[in-house]
Amino acid sequence: MGNEEEEEEVVAEVEAVEAVYGTDCVLLRSFPPHFHISLKPRTADVSSQQFVEAVLEIQASSQYPKEPPSVDLVDCKGLDEQRKKYLLNCIQSKAYELSPCLMLVALCEEAAEKLSSMNHPDGDCPLCLFPLVPEDQESGTLPFMKLMSCFHCFHSECIIRWWKWLQNSNKVDSSNTDSAAAHRNQGMDNWKDNPKKTEESVGNCPVCRKPFLAKDLDHVLALVGSYSSQLSSDNEELNEEEKLLQSEDEINRRQKYEAILNLQKENSGLIEPKKEMVILPGMYLPQPVAMPSSTPTKESDEPQQKDPPAVVPEKHAGGTSNSSIPSSSRQRNFGARRQKARSDNHSSSTARNPRKPAQQQWVRRDNPSNKP
Amino acid sequence: MTSSSAAARKNLSKIACNRLQKELVEWQVNPPTGFKHKVTDNLQRWVVEVTGAPGTLYANETYQLQVDFPENYPMEAPQVLLLSLSYINLYRLLVFSDVILLLSTVLQVIFLHPAPLHPHIYSNGHICLDILYDSWSPAMTVSSICISILSMLSSSTTKQRPEDNDRYVKNCRNGRSPKETRWWFHDDKV
Repeated sequence: MGNEEEEEEVVAEVEAVEAVYGTDCVLLRSFPPHFHISLKPRTADVSSQQFVEAVLEIQASSQYPKEPPSVDLVDCKGLDEQRKKYLLNCIQSKAYELSPCLMLVALCEEAAEKLSSMNHPDGDCPLCLFPLVPEDQESGTLPFMKLMSCFHCFHSECIIRWWKWLQNSNKVDSSNTDSAAAHRNQGMDNWKDNPKKTEESVGNCPVCRKPFLAKDLDHVLALVGSYSSQLSSDNEELNEEEKLLQSEDEINRRQKYEAILNLQKENSGLIEPKKEMVILPGMYLPQPVAMPSSTPTKESDEPQQKDPPAVVPEKHAGGTSNSSIPSSSRQRNFGARRQKARSDNHSSSTARNPRKPAQQQWVRRDNPSNKP
Repeated sequence: MTSSSAAARKNLSKIACNRLQKELVEWQVNPPTGFKHKVTDNLQRWVVEVTGAPGTLYANETYQLQVDFPENYPMEAPQVLLLSLSYINLYRLLVFSDVILLLSTVLQVIFLHPAPLHPHIYSNGHICLDILYDSWSPAMTVSSICISILSMLSSSTTKQRPEDNDRYVKNCRNGRSPKETRWWFHDDKV
């Protein structure tokens, strides 16, 4: 008899839940109680202020209320794994706390309470991975937005950048050959099938691929427009950088450093300071070619001079092709000798390797007397 | 990759740089299980070591993922290749085991089977996985790609090459990127 009374009490409680939550409650079974309940944060009267929502499944055994019911999340928006776990833990521990009293309404209230306290966007923007709301107030907050279909939040700037990119690439895509497009449509049958057909009206959330209406982004586009001056100045800055990188000075500078790097590699990591010698009266250049930097012309003919007669058969190759690239087709013994000759030549032409006597280095007439 | 295509690769944009640095930091804090990022000073190319999950066909096998990022990452997907054992591993193997025996197996690993045998992985390292191409979304990260690839490996029931491997690899001989391929994703079981 006691059992029947208890059962009646439980059924009455389920009715109460239905009465309180109305259409938000979907009853699957009245005894033992089993129902879904969809919850929204109390603080969000306006949908634009709502960042989370959840559908809970509460299932009790016939031992309820002595045994607390199990609680699970059927569906939710705006909650990451961590916050889902937190929400469920809170409800679960409340259930253990209230057992063995009747608790269904109390549990739902607890859930709504917790959800209300969580009604703020959390975590990072999925596109740039930086926090949506910076923890320290000092760094300026970037405006962010929320997709109404799934409550995923993004920095406005980030999602607009993506949206524009998407439409641009769609344009490029459709201007491409039709056969390719036909091929693609034939091969695939999922949502990605034809972004062109739907591009005007629908997009897919980058996180969950849930479709959203393109017009949802309109107000964000307008918003971004309000600080687009800032954006465009960013772009200009980028262009400036680009210009700087491609400028002649920069290219020269890079070439210079590359030359030094090559030299360093040849000298087994050593670089002598450039001003190793002061030109004094009485010094002379043994060769007519004076400038150390004018190597290319010399490189092509010098190896020929230095090559011993044995190399004659392949002299043509050395003379015509770029001699700075050791040709793998050359015979091995020749290759080794040539390489030595070339490094001699190189060091002398740049006058930086003191170990090897150089032909075109500045030479003092009488070394001992000029020594400082 | 040929040298010309490497030279044609543009530098990362500022946005891409920021995002990749952020990903790298997050990877260091919380790396996906089974993966090891090999530290280089090149933000634009990541080399990641993959170890097959225990209890799967690829358990204890190590491969190398090479991830190259485009200028406009994350709008565009990175280019991902799954390649042979790393040289560091070869070295380790050689040091700790019978040299002659291992040399032969190692050479086999490198030259005959550079990529894992899998119905969706071609012998040149190209991976037939939709998220790397058509289904890419900028909300994905290197970490999530890695997890997808490992789960693709783990769910395989046979160790074999794709049926059209020879034809495909021959078509890619001039160093073509997998992103230039028009992929058909015909099988969603593995």
